[in-house]
Amino acid sequence: MEISEFIKNFAAQFDDTEASEFTLNTRFRELDEWSSLNALAILNMIGKKYSVFIKPDEMKSLHTVQELFELVNSKIV
Amino acid sequence: MKITNYGVTLSRLSEDKIELVRNWRNDPKIAQYMEFKDYITPEMQLNWFKKINNDSNYFFIIESEGKEIGLINVKDIDCDKFKGEAGIFIYDDDCLNSTISFQATLCLYDYCFETLKVKQLSAHILNDNKRAIKFNKMIGFKILQNQEHVNNQLYLLTYEDYVKNRNEISPIISQ
Repeated sequence: MEISEFIKNFAAQFDDTEASEFTLNTRFRELDEWSSLNALAILNMIGKKYSVFIKPDEMKSLHTVQELFELVNSKIV
Repeated sequence: MKITNYGVTLSRLSEDKIELVRNWRNDPKIAQYMEFKDYITPEMQLNWFKKINNDSNYFFIIESEGKEIGLINVKDIDCDKFKGEAGIFIYDDDCLNSTISFQATLCLYDYCFETLKVKQLSAHILNDNKRAIKFNKMIGFKILQNQEHVNNQLYLLTYEDYVKNRNEISPIISQ
């Protein structure tokens, strides 16, 4: 899984935040636009693009894009 | 009438619950997203209920963990054209940051498409309600052509698009 592609796919789930603002260190919960709906859109994207299904509860303890990337990577068979 | 699926229960709206719904609906946090924003009186609410309490309109109170948290509906069902119009609002703030709106929607839409045999659902969404637009697109709704500059935009959902999106969302929200 390509990191840059993952960040691009992650950023695409936001409407008002510029894609250029997203890096591996982005603390997504601190974004003005962050909501539970974004969380579900991201989990939905991960299911579609990477065939990895993550429950909302698993995401609750994550804060950065890198942490989510590592979780997805750990679940890819 | 009750429908239970995806971890929520939908209870068909009965007359003894219309005051609860009227109070929710009159709250500015809900009314701001509705096309009709005027204050609703008890008499108006009763007249409305008499119009929708039939087999062309299905309004349900959403219940989660024994708590009544919002309203979901399919109205104006046209049995000849297999069409209906969908709507939902979540009143309970504690439930806004959860998957309940998806659970309730999948619960009702399964019933509409698979039991009532509706083939297409529509939804009107105010063009500044970004959250609702995002939500409905995730379910599979698509905006109609020439709606970009309309205030209350019309979206459509086919059964095929619904099934595709439901199958992607349900593994995430399943309890």
